[in-house]
Amino acid sequence: MERFEDLNYYELLEIPVNASPFEIRQAYRYALSIYEEDSMISDSFFSDEERNAILHRIEEAFSTLIDKSQRVVYDKELTDAGVIDASLPEKGKPKSKGPIPLFSLKKTGGQKSLFARVKNRIEKKDFTEISREILSKNLISGKDLERLRKHVGIAVDEIFEVTRISLKILTAIESDDVASLPRTFYLKNFLKAYAELFNLDSGKVIDGYLENIAYLNNRK
Amino acid sequence: MTIMTQIYAIGGGKGGSGKSFLTANLGALFARQGHNTVLVDLDLGGSNLHSLLGFRQVKKGLNSYLNKSVSDLSAVAVPTEIPNLHLISSVDCSLEIGNLFYAQKVKIINAIHRLPFDIVLIDLGAGSTYNVLDFFLSAHEGIFVFTPEPTSIQNTVQFIKAIYLRKVKQILKHYAFSNVVNELARESEAGLVRSPLDIVDRVMVKDPDRGKLLEKELHRLVFKLVLNQYRKHIDETLGNKIEKVCNRHFYAGFQFLGNVTHDERVHNSVLAKTIFVNKYPYTPTSTDLKHTAEMMLQKPGKKSSAIGKYGEI
Repeated sequence: MERFEDLNYYELLEIPVNASPFEIRQAYRYALSIYEEDSMISDSFFSDEERNAILHRIEEAFSTLIDKSQRVVYDKELTDAGVIDASLPEKGKPKSKGPIPLFSLKKTGGQKSLFARVKNRIEKKDFTEISREILSKNLISGKDLERLRKHVGIAVDEIFEVTRISLKILTAIESDDVASLPRTFYLKNFLKAYAELFNLDSGKVIDGYLENIAYLNNRK
Repeated sequence: MTIMTQIYAIGGGKGGSGKSFLTANLGALFARQGHNTVLVDLDLGGSNLHSLLGFRQVKKGLNSYLNKSVSDLSAVAVPTEIPNLHLISSVDCSLEIGNLFYAQKVKIINAIHRLPFDIVLIDLGAGSTYNVLDFFLSAHEGIFVFTPEPTSIQNTVQFIKAIYLRKVKQILKHYAFSNVVNELARESEAGLVRSPLDIVDRVMVKDPDRGKLLEKELHRLVFKLVLNQYRKHIDETLGNKIEKVCNRHFYAGFQFLGNVTHDERVHNSVLAKTIFVNKYPYTPTSTDLKHTAEMMLQKPGKKSSAIGKYGEI
């Protein structure tokens, strides 16, 4: 057993080395509730001098750990003395919890986000030839886009997951279903997102696609 | 079924904290579980355990053993109304039994260790006289009962310190550290040694090898804490806090077993001479007692949070 006097500040407050300021504050309050003057416990256990010595140590521990710069110095002392592992203070720092994205509930822990995974697959694939061929055309049809997508090996749902363009609109775009297409303003944005996903020049894609639509309309 | 007899001593310094109440009720609970249990009333000079169990008087008891009318202590264990539960009372002893002779004390302690029961519960009296301390230390596990009042906690802490000092002295004597003891005795007269902890520290400084031995022996001590007459609006972690302070500042293992809720009807059960857990089985207090009984029989699997270790990271 270690003597109370020999405990380091973390042991004294019974907190892990990577404790957050909130935890430190809580531990401090808890320690006070045991050792402070009005406590039923400390009265019975300790003489006034003993208690004052203990309270002094607790105060010291708290004021050191709660102050960022002092804590760094203290951690360094402990690390140098070999009491704690050098990686401990940084490594385990709890990440602040952000909001959970609504649509990625399927995502399992530890995996990269779907967006990153799809993007990764696109990057790995070499499709410069087919994209150059598509971009060289004046009229770009939905069929061309679909062809490119299938060549890269991406499913429509995945495009939906990444771009959040609804499946209905995606199929409308790919099948040149003029009646179901959204208004031009939105359509442009959707096409832009689609094109950027495959690293295409979005301006060219939009122009080509719109011209193709106009051509189809005229033909009717 | 335990193969070996397990002996628990129930003490705690202050009178009226519920030592006898707890002894009787825990005994009833163990008996109900099928453990062959005996309660030994060693509140010498203040025996009243028999009253809680519904006896008006007990014909044979500890005195029959001490005056050699029976040769075996188990012969004076009288069965109670509860199956599996027996009582060795000391109400038949003389009024001066409180001042027990040393030889008699040793005789009783040895006899208790030979009792053919699964569980032995020793009910002790208040105060911290040598008799009480030695009976307490003779058990496998000691249970301190206290109530959430400063006076009770003070007495319990004094009792714990007294127990501790007695044990330290026993160990020092057993390992013939007599020179250390003499030296310490001189120092304590000079006011240098204030508490039992100081003694351990002095031994460690003076003779590290023996200090290690002493520390190891003390580590084998197991003490349990029960907070009786727990009421609402009291810090519910009080027991845990005391456990923590004990573990931090004494070289021994303490475990807090739990709170036992205060209940007005305890009074009724005493008047009715019925065991509380049998008269009012479905009350918070009875549930607490059951919980405490379970905790007592639990094997100490993982050690209660040892300090000086970092939490999991």
